[in-house]
Amino acid sequence: MAIFDIRKLSFSYPNAENKAIDNVSIAVESGEFVTVVGPTGSGKSTLLRLMKPELQQNGEIQGEILFHDQPITALKARESAARIGYVAQSPEEQIVTDKVWHEMAFTLENLGKKQKEIARRVAETAAYFGIAPWYHDRTATLSGGQKQLLNLASVMVSEPEALILDEPTAQLDPIEAAKFVDTLRKLNRETGVTVIISEHRAEELLPISDRMIVLDRGQIVFDDTPRAVAGQIEKDSPYLPYLTAAARIFIQGGGQGERPLSVREGMRAFRELSYSSPPAFAEKKGSDHEVALEIKDVFFRYEKSAQDILRGLDLTVYSGEIFAVLGANGCGKSTAAGVIAGVYKPYSGKRKLFSKAYKEYKNGSLYKENLSLLVQDVESVFLRASVREELRGCEDIIRELPFDLSPLLDRHPYDLSGGERQMVALCKALKSRPRLLILDEPSKGLDPRYKKQLGDLIMELKGRGMTIILITHDVEFAAGCADRCALFFDGAIAACENTADFMNGNRYYTTAASRITRGIIEGCYTVDSAAKAMGGEHG
Amino acid sequence: MTVIGNEKVRKALRYAIPFGLIPATVALSATAFGEKRYLILSLGIAVMAIMLFMAGIEKKNIGSRRMVMVAVMTALAVIGRFIPLFKPITALCVMAAMYLGAEAGFLCGALSVLISNIYFGQGPWTPFQMLGFGLIGLFAGYLSKPLLKSRVLLVGYGVIAGIAYSMMMDVWTVLWYNGSLDGSLYLTAIVSALPYTVLYAVSNVGFLLLLRKPMGEKLGRIKLKYGV
Amino acid sequence: MREFTDGNPIAVAVYYLCVTVITMFTMNPIVILISLVASAVNYALYAKGGIRPHLFSIALFLILAVINPLINHNGMTVLFYLNERPITMEAALYGITAAGMTVAALYWLRAFGKAMTADKLLYLFGRLSPKISLILSMAIRYVELMRNRWRKIQTAQKALGLYDDGNLIDAMRGRARVLSILISWVLENGIITAESMEARGYGSGRRSSFRLFRFRGRDLLIIAVSIALATVGIVGLSYASIDWYPAIKTNLDAPISIIGYIGFGILAILPTIINTKEAIRWRYLISES
Repeated sequence: MAIFDIRKLSFSYPNAENKAIDNVSIAVESGEFVTVVGPTGSGKSTLLRLMKPELQQNGEIQGEILFHDQPITALKARESAARIGYVAQSPEEQIVTDKVWHEMAFTLENLGKKQKEIARRVAETAAYFGIAPWYHDRTATLSGGQKQLLNLASVMVSEPEALILDEPTAQLDPIEAAKFVDTLRKLNRETGVTVIISEHRAEELLPISDRMIVLDRGQIVFDDTPRAVAGQIEKDSPYLPYLTAAARIFIQGGGQGERPLSVREGMRAFRELSYSSPPAFAEKKGSDHEVALEIKDVFFRYEKSAQDILRGLDLTVYSGEIFAVLGANGCGKSTAAGVIAGVYKPYSGKRKLFSKAYKEYKNGSLYKENLSLLVQDVESVFLRASVREELRGCEDIIRELPFDLSPLLDRHPYDLSGGERQMVALCKALKSRPRLLILDEPSKGLDPRYKKQLGDLIMELKGRGMTIILITHDVEFAAGCADRCALFFDGAIAACENTADFMNGNRYYTTAASRITRGIIEGCYTVDSAAKAMGGEHG
Repeated sequence: MTVIGNEKVRKALRYAIPFGLIPATVALSATAFGEKRYLILSLGIAVMAIMLFMAGIEKKNIGSRRMVMVAVMTALAVIGRFIPLFKPITALCVMAAMYLGAEAGFLCGALSVLISNIYFGQGPWTPFQMLGFGLIGLFAGYLSKPLLKSRVLLVGYGVIAGIAYSMMMDVWTVLWYNGSLDGSLYLTAIVSALPYTVLYAVSNVGFLLLLRKPMGEKLGRIKLKYGV
Repeated sequence: MREFTDGNPIAVAVYYLCVTVITMFTMNPIVILISLVASAVNYALYAKGGIRPHLFSIALFLILAVINPLINHNGMTVLFYLNERPITMEAALYGITAAGMTVAALYWLRAFGKAMTADKLLYLFGRLSPKISLILSMAIRYVELMRNRWRKIQTAQKALGLYDDGNLIDAMRGRARVLSILISWVLENGIITAESMEARGYGSGRRSSFRLFRFRGRDLLIIAVSIALATVGIVGLSYASIDWYPAIKTNLDAPISIIGYIGFGILAILPTIINTKEAIRWRYLISES
């Protein structure tokens, strides 16, 4: 029986030329796990919001959405709150109260439940989600992954039949995201809750989804099992990036037959094929280049009584290279970025930029044409009411960019999408014409299109001679553009090699392509290189 | 057992406080506590006045967006109390009141005192401070139209709020020290607190002028965007 | 070990209200002496605030005790003259009593403040008004969120060379900038919080308020005992009187007043009794096992 039956649904925002949703019909069966993908602005969020009456936005609706054969808008407020759960992207902003236990009780309080019933449901849910150890903690002290798990748990306390999630793992690091997706899978299998999720993270989700819906410009492009959708997408399709690495390698490499989805399937499929020798990687030079940044034996802590965050950090970055620092969220990468950027002063150790000690850069000259850091929360750079004012003095830089920012100029920074915001902030960081640019998690929350745009921009900046340090947990992104990679762990660099050696030397902290080709072809770590090696068979 | 959450109890309270509890406090303070009766009386009345206002707010239906904005303004005022010497709390309450209504102003004032006193120390002064800043917010809400229009009026309001708050707290100081409101002592208190009064008034005016435009624009935009 | 302040916040609040109100609203030297000793012991043993608050209390006591005879020249027993002004014994004694009252009240209030964490305060207000308690809870979360973000914004602005605290004016300008960014960040994203509230049924009808603290027999007992002892104390107090000026005239030893002192005395050492009992029980449990 269909839990959601969407019939010929169209929706347009007030004063908008195009329909945000254009004649969409979907029937979701009870207990299904449905993944919705599509570029930013494809109407994913709008569609998901229409399925949660409280979040429907102003605009013109045609067609209908039935929930258990009744119009969804006919649901009583309490029914809708209890039976349809909704989790959004931002882990931090969705939390309402100051304590974990209070947050968990919040939904049931709103529904006016009795003390006894709340106590029981909260206890049960906290135990199931493994929240008990931090049940009494303040919500502000949790990590991003914990926050998002709390958001999920505090929706699940009302025992909803359907769970709608709008890019819930976009802000999480890969390990947190995998854990979150795993929890979703477990919930779906064990409680039968219907899951409808929109995500850019195909790798973990597609192998466990019953259905994959590709949405573009408000219309359904594909609606089938992930395997069937993978079977319909061809080499030059714009929807290729929404598939997993295994499927992409197989499609790009021209593989025949059923397409693999997971890493495991990818390895199996790969073993059965013959392949050409791996593409030669140019050994990334470095040592004969001029040293741009030298960090030696740096120790740092925020307060005298606190613990060390950096414990003997050593780092050498050469002029004109892209250097990636990889590591999980909360391991001190951002602190390292602050120290490299000269914002935090280490209590011990040496720092040199362009063979001049940091101390010698007087009167803020460090930030004039030398160094610039873009932090990961780009909201922290927006001060003005329009992009134009925000980017005053950056006109030349806007012109030099490989993409056009001018349509955004008259908009408010907070009215932009995440990707657009990132590009505007980046432009602001370039204003001082830095020789060393440090980017902290620049690819966080971006869809494949913006990720590619960002990657292209970074390559272009490198081409102009800029040195770039990428601080990121996004292994795939680093693999795509970095010359050298370093693994940051426990306050110091645990490994530092050129990207190929780094990716092929790591077992867990590496790309899906590297894992798929491991032991079959050596030296492949991107989808493109793996596909090329595979394509050898077909010429 | 939620006192004000319960409709009936709430209704009962609205009558019980002015007609029952306040006279009882007067009687108790007059018989048992002799010379300090005014202190206990004023404290009792302050607490009950706050409860009355809160009962009124509990009854109102505050939308989630307004709730969030009130919480944000309250938190800002709390943080503002940590700034040495110049405190933006009045200015923030007035801004909240002008853009979000009189209740929001009252809540912003009263609750920010309550929260910040977790750090600064709770005491019998808490109800007075809560009532003081709450009323500053409340009246600013009632006067929001003229205050939004005229900068002169806004400055005037800031000055008066600073003086009135200081004088109210002086009443409390004198009561604490002397037990009754002695005229000459009160005058001494006002004079000795003059530097503070000036500081209040100056920071009120300063922050109001500083925040009026940028913060007004931000609040105005949010109100429009989210349809508050 | 369940200390006195681990009980239900209502019981704890009622107790502190009783003992503080009586201390604050009397000038009876016997009651104030009892209160001062008991409050200092209670604070020293259980609030664990270190030695500094005690030094502060001693200094405050001395200052307050000296101020009154210096300003107030009423009273007929002149001790000596200072700048041709008489310093009287009555004014000195009044000053000592008033100082003792203030210091005792502050000790009680400090202990109360330590016991009343944000959690307990919210619980009290939750009982009073679910809506106010929700706003309080949200605001407390925002306070911490804003602190974290303040640091993030400062870092971001410094790293773009837009924040400089070299001199006072730059520092002020820098702070105003950070504040402005912070306000936008929090207000603009507040909509996500608001939607999260709506999606989870806020505003769908009457709310209830979930409480972590339970009401146990001991809590009821503490409330009943506190109110009873406070009543005994107040009644006893109303039969005692003291006139300070022109000469001290006391009527402090009526039998009913003495019962009142005993009642108040027990009230004042109630937390100490309970904590000591718990400590003994705990030790006993350990030695048994």
